[in-house]
Amino acid sequence: MASIKATGLVKRYGTVKAVHGIDFEIADGEFVAILGPSGCGKSSTMRMIAGLETVTEGTIEIDGKVVNDIRARDRNVAMSFESYALYPTISIHENIAFPLRSAGMNADEIDRRVRDIAEKMELVPLLGLKPQGLSSGQAQRVGLARALVRKPSVFLLDEPISHLDTRQRYRMRRFIKQLHQQYHYTMIYVTHDQEEALALADRVMVMSNGLIQQMAPPDEIYARPVNAFVAGFVGEPPINFFDCRLARDGGRWTLAFEGQTLTLPERLSDTAAQLGPEALAAVRPHFLSIGVNGPLVLEGKVFVTEELQDQNLVMVDVGKVRFTLVAHPSVRPQRGEVVPLTIDADHLLLFPQDNSRRIDDDLAA
Amino acid sequence: MYELKAVHKRYGLAKVALRKIDLTVRDKEFLVIYGPAGAGKSTILNILAGITRPTTGDVLRDGVSILHLPPERRDTAMAFENYALYSHLSVGENLAFPLHARGMARAEIDQRVRRIAEILGIGHLLDRRPGFLSGGQRQRVALGRAIIRPADIYLLDEPVGHLDAKLRHKIRAELKALADDLNATVVFTTTSSREALALGDRVAVLNQGRLEQIGTPADLYHRPANAFVASFVGDPPMSFITVEPRREADRVAFLTPDGMPVATLRADALDGLRPADAAIQVGFRSNEVRLAQQGDSAALRGRVDVIEHLGHSKIALVGIGRDQVSVSVPAHTSIHVGEEVAIAFPRDAVHLFQDARAVVHAVPSV
Repeated sequence: MASIKATGLVKRYGTVKAVHGIDFEIADGEFVAILGPSGCGKSSTMRMIAGLETVTEGTIEIDGKVVNDIRARDRNVAMSFESYALYPTISIHENIAFPLRSAGMNADEIDRRVRDIAEKMELVPLLGLKPQGLSSGQAQRVGLARALVRKPSVFLLDEPISHLDTRQRYRMRRFIKQLHQQYHYTMIYVTHDQEEALALADRVMVMSNGLIQQMAPPDEIYARPVNAFVAGFVGEPPINFFDCRLARDGGRWTLAFEGQTLTLPERLSDTAAQLGPEALAAVRPHFLSIGVNGPLVLEGKVFVTEELQDQNLVMVDVGKVRFTLVAHPSVRPQRGEVVPLTIDADHLLLFPQDNSRRIDDDLAA
Repeated sequence: MYELKAVHKRYGLAKVALRKIDLTVRDKEFLVIYGPAGAGKSTILNILAGITRPTTGDVLRDGVSILHLPPERRDTAMAFENYALYSHLSVGENLAFPLHARGMARAEIDQRVRRIAEILGIGHLLDRRPGFLSGGQRQRVALGRAIIRPADIYLLDEPVGHLDAKLRHKIRAELKALADDLNATVVFTTTSSREALALGDRVAVLNQGRLEQIGTPADLYHRPANAFVASFVGDPPMSFITVEPRREADRVAFLTPDGMPVATLRADALDGLRPADAAIQVGFRSNEVRLAQQGDSAALRGRVDVIEHLGHSKIALVGIGRDQVSVSVPAHTSIHVGEEVAIAFPRDAVHLFQDARAVVHAVPSV
């Protein structure tokens, strides 16, 4: 049971500022993913919560108590790292039992807990082995088990499943999610993988340059990104961006791009008026289609089609910009073919070219 | 054409990297070797390049053994996951190196270096030394240096493994187009299902040194030879339900332990099915099943265990008895953990496995 609150949180390493003064609250039992590229400040933020880094400025509260000066081991916060450092000379069983022995728990209870977690994580056959025989995926699971066995009130995971292949990643991801549903730990999960963040978290906190760009539930992060950074970082395949010029033509706004002109839907008029002549347009691959399927139609040339069996990814060049679209497996245009490309008017996004906050907040509402 | 004939590779006494592999690399094909870490993917590339010698077995080029040929006398171009670049040369010079070595004219070298650098998004880095590059940038330089020159065969060992998702996506498309343009023979290793399906003319699935299956992406996806391939190819992985067979005249019905019917197939389609008590599983892809609506005849009842957002869609993981089935649903679907749901599945999209080997794939016509 623990809620977390950060106020004006700053982390400086010498002259380098890693976290630039951020505020956030995480409710008791909530699962939050901190998502961002390397160097965005996500690990520093987590390490300050864990007590592994000092807070340069601002405060961190756990359950309403400022913990800036409380030592890591007294915070009842458990952490699993990407670099699962296991003790090489003792068995997997003893590695997992280690935090419990340090806490002075009795041997029967330790054994019961280790068995329990090992069963859940399919580690039972490994309990008698030493760490050196393990694959990296197995070692990662042991690291996770060792953090979980303490039943902490806050559970911090730093890229815990980045070394696993697709199949194992799904398995672990679902395991972690079910663990959360079952025990209601307050969980914070740091990752650079947008799919993991969306799949796991109740809310995603997207960070870049030491600042929180957006903190919202996964569907909102995906459908209503507040700026071009969030739009570009979230989504697979990645969103399509193109620089364009906006102009007023009678009562409607138009968008000019690579010598082609589109009339914007009424919905975007206010946004267009605020953005001025230069803007960055964006549309997700799922909202583009080949053929004339609406009013916003560009003409492009097919570059390549990737057949993923459940869907096809088609790359289409419009001038110098390469668009990716997701199509039904039966859509297989030839390379070099000139095709009409329809943008779903309900899902076109407009951003300022300088990447500040998106203005059309009513989008896709 | 390259052939591995019963290639076995052992390191030391205990570690077997490859187990009697037979594998053909056809001329001008893009062959992807796909498998988990430690499957033996890199060992195959090293054997083709002549860097590693098989313990037993033979390697042929156009029917002639090349086992005795040292690496420098095989016309292979190779990019490693761990990019070895010349640290004292600039990026441009690193890229140009294989071309200088072949005595190409300066103007043509410049032109090729620029083109490759542009394709890989490193055009602005040509004057830098490798020491000043990020891991992803170095990896692109190493890839560029491998593909810049003509070669009989290109061996690319997880060449985009260290790049972020956006770059991987971009470079994957470029590689595919480039290989088409050059009519090149390429062997490419990866741990990503998506990459394997997107790039491969054929894909060889490797697991613990064994070749599990080789075929076109459609073969692997629609007709996986066994449960490993079924669960390893495709994203999300195929889900399985354990069933028991019950004969009904000329048909066999497959039921869950709770007695819910999962599939009914004509008995004569089940030649491969052994009457023995080996476990039988039915496999479903997440997009072959959906939440049932009223009027659906075939439906399995279960409870939602997990919901995963994937942006445009969600995956509901539905518990049915002791098994769990992934169902792909549109992002706006209202569905909650703990909810009782019914899953509908087309009767003809059934993958049946016994003892983890495929018995039958009744696949809808594509």
